[in-house]
Amino acid sequence: ENREAMLNSRSNRLTEALEEANKLFDGVCRAREAALDAQFLVIASNIGKEKANELHSEMSAFDSTAFAEDLLTFMGINRTEVEETDDSDDVPGGFLPSDAWQTLGEEAPMYFRRAPTFHYMMGSFKSEPPVPKQRIERQKKASRGKAERAMPAQLKEMEESHQEATEKEVERILRILQSHFENDPDTPISFFDFVIDPNSFAHTVENMFHVSFLIRDGLAKIKLDEDELPIIEPTKPNGRVEEESRARPRNQVVISLDQKEWK
Amino acid sequence: QVSELVQFLLVKDQKKIPIKRADMVKNIIRDNKDAYKDAYSEIINRAGRTLQEVFGLQLVEIDAKRHTYILINNLPRAESKYLCRDKEKEKMGLLLVILSFIFMKGNSVKDSALWEFLNLLRVYPGKQHKVFGDVRKLVTEEFVRQKYLESTLIPLTDPPEFKYQWGPRAEKETSKKDVLNFVAKIQGKDPTFWASQYSEAEA
Repeated sequence: ENREAMLNSRSNRLTEALEEANKLFDGVCRAREAALDAQFLVIASNIGKEKANELHSEMSAFDSTAFAEDLLTFMGINRTEVEETDDSDDVPGGFLPSDAWQTLGEEAPMYFRRAPTFHYMMGSFKSEPPVPKQRIERQKKASRGKAERAMPAQLKEMEESHQEATEKEVERILRILQSHFENDPDTPISFFDFVIDPNSFAHTVENMFHVSFLIRDGLAKIKLDEDELPIIEPTKPNGRVEEESRARPRNQVVISLDQKEWK
Repeated sequence: QVSELVQFLLVKDQKKIPIKRADMVKNIIRDNKDAYKDAYSEIINRAGRTLQEVFGLQLVEIDAKRHTYILINNLPRAESKYLCRDKEKEKMGLLLVILSFIFMKGNSVKDSALWEFLNLLRVYPGKQHKVFGDVRKLVTEEFVRQKYLESTLIPLTDPPEFKYQWGPRAEKETSKKDVLNFVAKIQGKDPTFWASQYSEAEA
């Protein structure tokens, strides 16, 4: 029970207790008393060890009270204001701001090599077999992508959608041409400017392919301008489309373009 | 399988509770045949390499008997404050203070001594704390489970008393030197002021 008292480095109580135990042991004749004595020795040696420990750290006395006060200062304590507390009186006064531990928290991580916790950004998947990934599609290939994802067993469907895909492309190109023209009604666009994709030869060819449909259906026409360069413009929509298309001469134009020229 | 294990480890590490090898094997390596024992050892090694090369994290075995592992950060520390959330940072502040106290007091402190010290910082075991909530639980359970602190029963004490020391995670994630530097910074002194702690830290 007098553990604390015994731990006091200046106290000789431990030695005294040991001496007393020694004397008492002489009077022991029953086993039970001997057991008590042994127990006492264990406790005594533990206390002895603790005392030795304390001796060591007292060599460079660490004042924990001072450390605590310095920590409070670091955390931003305001000592001029006295906080209303119902705590015991030995806690020093001062107002500890609510972000005190946050302030300390800004300093602390630098002393640890802690692995940052890993969290999924989007949350977890449902546990089902994964849906085939959506290909990152370039804008121009939108409907073409759909056609490719159809399963091989449904070949018929695929062919149809392939048709559709082409039609959609054609429509899209027509719309681009028309909107271009809306902005600038009297200036037809240079054919080459319209179809050439500076990044892809194959794409250029595709564009020309789609444009040829437009021409075939009479939705656009190609003329030669002053410099003998082809220009393209949408035809004006009007009620008698069918007649018009019959009347218009169909010319076949073969344009040869190879990769070198394309560059 | 290696990448599955890497993901498993990263997720498991969120709570900072050490990961058992048995769990790794159960979740990732579905072949339970003994013939594959070498295989999973290799898989764990490769996962460790991936974690190091891709994430800069180190997979460390902290208990060779029970085969438990933790992840620590191998990257320079200057960035760490940006990688932690506020709640984590506050806990780390408290932890740092506790680890400092333990080290400066000779690497082992009694439960009662620790709380006496924390009281000075307005942290009480019986009282709900505005920031930490149930602090007693945080210190005696969470920090211990995460292996930052180790709690041992002092023999033949009645009522039973505990003592605290640094846990294996603390040993890996920080050092005596770092902690001494922290104390020195807070107190505005040079680390050599505490001669015996300084020589212990430099050893």
